[in-house]
Amino acid sequence: MTEISTARRAGLAAAAMRIRDRPVAAWRRRDLWWGLFFVGPQTLLMVAFVLVPFAVGLALAFTNWGGFGALHWIGLSNFSTELHDPIFRKAVVNTLIIAAVTVPIGLGLAVVLATALEKVRLRSVYLTLLFLPVVTSSVAVSMIWQQLLQPQGPISTAVSKIFGIAPPDWLNNPGLILFAVCAVAIWSSLGLNVVIFLAGLQTIDENVVEAARVDGAGPIRIFWSIKMPLLSPTMFFSTVVAVISSFQTFDIVYVLTSGDGPGDSARTMVYHIYDVGFLHTEFGLSSAAAVILFLLTMVVTLAQFALQGRFVHYES
Amino acid sequence: MKSKKFRTRIVSLASISLLALSAVTACSGGGNSGGGKTTVTWTTWGDPGELARYKQFDQQFMKTHPNINVVFQPVASYSDYNAKLLTELSSHTAPDVFYVGDDQIGKFVSTHQLEPLNNILDKSKTISAGLFAPGLYGAAKSGSTYYGVPTDCNPDAFWYNKTTLRDAGITQDPATLASEGKWTLSTFLSMVKTLHSHGIAGAGFWNYWSTPYSWISQYGGKIYNASGKFVLPQDPTSVQALTVLAHLFQNKTFDVLDTLPSGQSDTMFLTHKLGFYVQGRYTIATIKQGGNASDYDVAPWPSKTGKVMPSGVATAYLAINKSTPHQSAAATFLQAYVNAQGQTLRLAGGGNAVPSIKNTSADKVVLGYPAHARFLLQMRSLGFEDFAPEAAVPGLSTDMANVYLDLYQGKISVQQALTQLSALAAKESSR
Repeated sequence: MTEISTARRAGLAAAAMRIRDRPVAAWRRRDLWWGLFFVGPQTLLMVAFVLVPFAVGLALAFTNWGGFGALHWIGLSNFSTELHDPIFRKAVVNTLIIAAVTVPIGLGLAVVLATALEKVRLRSVYLTLLFLPVVTSSVAVSMIWQQLLQPQGPISTAVSKIFGIAPPDWLNNPGLILFAVCAVAIWSSLGLNVVIFLAGLQTIDENVVEAARVDGAGPIRIFWSIKMPLLSPTMFFSTVVAVISSFQTFDIVYVLTSGDGPGDSARTMVYHIYDVGFLHTEFGLSSAAAVILFLLTMVVTLAQFALQGRFVHYES
Repeated sequence: MKSKKFRTRIVSLASISLLALSAVTACSGGGNSGGGKTTVTWTTWGDPGELARYKQFDQQFMKTHPNINVVFQPVASYSDYNAKLLTELSSHTAPDVFYVGDDQIGKFVSTHQLEPLNNILDKSKTISAGLFAPGLYGAAKSGSTYYGVPTDCNPDAFWYNKTTLRDAGITQDPATLASEGKWTLSTFLSMVKTLHSHGIAGAGFWNYWSTPYSWISQYGGKIYNASGKFVLPQDPTSVQALTVLAHLFQNKTFDVLDTLPSGQSDTMFLTHKLGFYVQGRYTIATIKQGGNASDYDVAPWPSKTGKVMPSGVATAYLAINKSTPHQSAAATFLQAYVNAQGQTLRLAGGGNAVPSIKNTSADKVVLGYPAHARFLLQMRSLGFEDFAPEAAVPGLSTDMANVYLDLYQGKISVQQALTQLSALAAKESSR
């Protein structure tokens, strides 16, 4: 047995040597150079703007660097400080609330709209209108909403008239501000999700839907028992992207609330990272918060992947 | 053979790309431009109107200094400006001359990012350290070394509409009282009480260091002692002043303007819903937007004695990058920018600040309007910037303002506020 294995190994090694010594075709070498030429700049940029900053950020999290001067290694102290900081904990809670509100409502609304638009006439017009906020700068979107959400603005006036209450001050009331942020976040990402779901719906085999219809299934049954399971891979992809995106909420909060709202009521983790880093010039602490955000995002994403077997149906 | 040809072609392409890249990079830097000119880069933040004035100054400067080319790098918002400047300083790519906010300069001084200016101030024919009000230097002065010069300033003053006061039944004029040395806290408190009873907000203040510290100063209280220790909680006069201030906010006689929707404070002031608007000279722009200019006037902070006492003056500093290779040109630019002529050029004709330099011709830009504008100059000369121990720690002033806001909104008691403020001062200052 051992002898055979040895002989086989020797044979394989000889074959490998033959392949290695064989002259490489000129076209292959040429392709290799062209390949390197095209991949090189991309790789360089990736290393310069993603990998190096990531590594530097990770290293900074273990130092007390204040923007200038020497670095001092302080171990896990920054992580401990952040985890014990009530303001950071508030930022984590706010971020989780934004994710918990915007992801299910945003995606649910997008599925409903995509289904409604599936067979409608002038679909491209509706899609264009829905997609407009996606291609508009989030800063511009936030500035417009900032005006709309003023107490004397149309939304507060309408709410005041309908419910007979004082016009709500969405952006200055700590109890309302997160709802305002969530509403704007949902609105601005709705178009993209609708387009993705619409594409998902169009990949569903019409014969399967037709077969269900022949078997007596109504539109609601078809939606829940046929379309939703077949749409689940798209839903899974959108959920993963939406959760990551909601964890990174910054620009909407920053512009809408001119900071992070009264009493840090709309402080998100990314705003906290910015505030600690650039306003308080504590880059070590800021990097530690960024690492915690990274870990949180990774854990939630991994959990989503772990659970996909239960909820995601892949057509064989 | 073919392969070699291809390799040569790729290497040539890569070389051309690198050359193009280096050419682009070379274009972005400052330095000696053609014709023996030195290029000075400088940066600040500002709204479109302010930035246009700065550009106008640059044009004027280049006319009078043909051997210096000025490149201006404007930034729209203050927070973005700080983030950008910080990044540029840590990567040694900051401009030669730059503005520094009063809450950031302490950090730049302690980390040796700024060129000491004593030599310039001592030798200059147009500026000197003594020409600027001593209280304006704040954290820009460390020991006897100056690291920044106040570009201009804005004393927080009491702007009011005479009609609003008259309609509420107030017959006395605050500015006239101040001229007579009778603008006392008791008179002021009686006025705001009357305004409040007529459904008018007594006074509106912005939530930053100047509000509590100016108020306490009118009582003669102490905030920091000579050795830089935060002594407000231990000074009974200061605690009493803060208690009164908190009470006035909590019973809505005073408004925290930051908590109002954007632009509402201006509207309130112009529509006679706000008695005293406590802020800088930029109020004139608001008045011009929708008010009858002759109805408005300005008074200093009311004090216990009726005399004009020190109060907060907001300023920013012009500093020179320690790493600049163009120190001489940068110094020339700095002097021209902050001297009487430079400030007059920047602030004349609707400028929004008060000259930081004591100079009769520069002062004229302020004296035209309103009737008692001279108080702005008096407040500048007497006033103070944020205290150096507080201003030296980036973010500390904002953190403390958050505590004051909680106090004004009644979320915490005076005692709790004092405990939190002491803890912040101790924790942050130890960094």
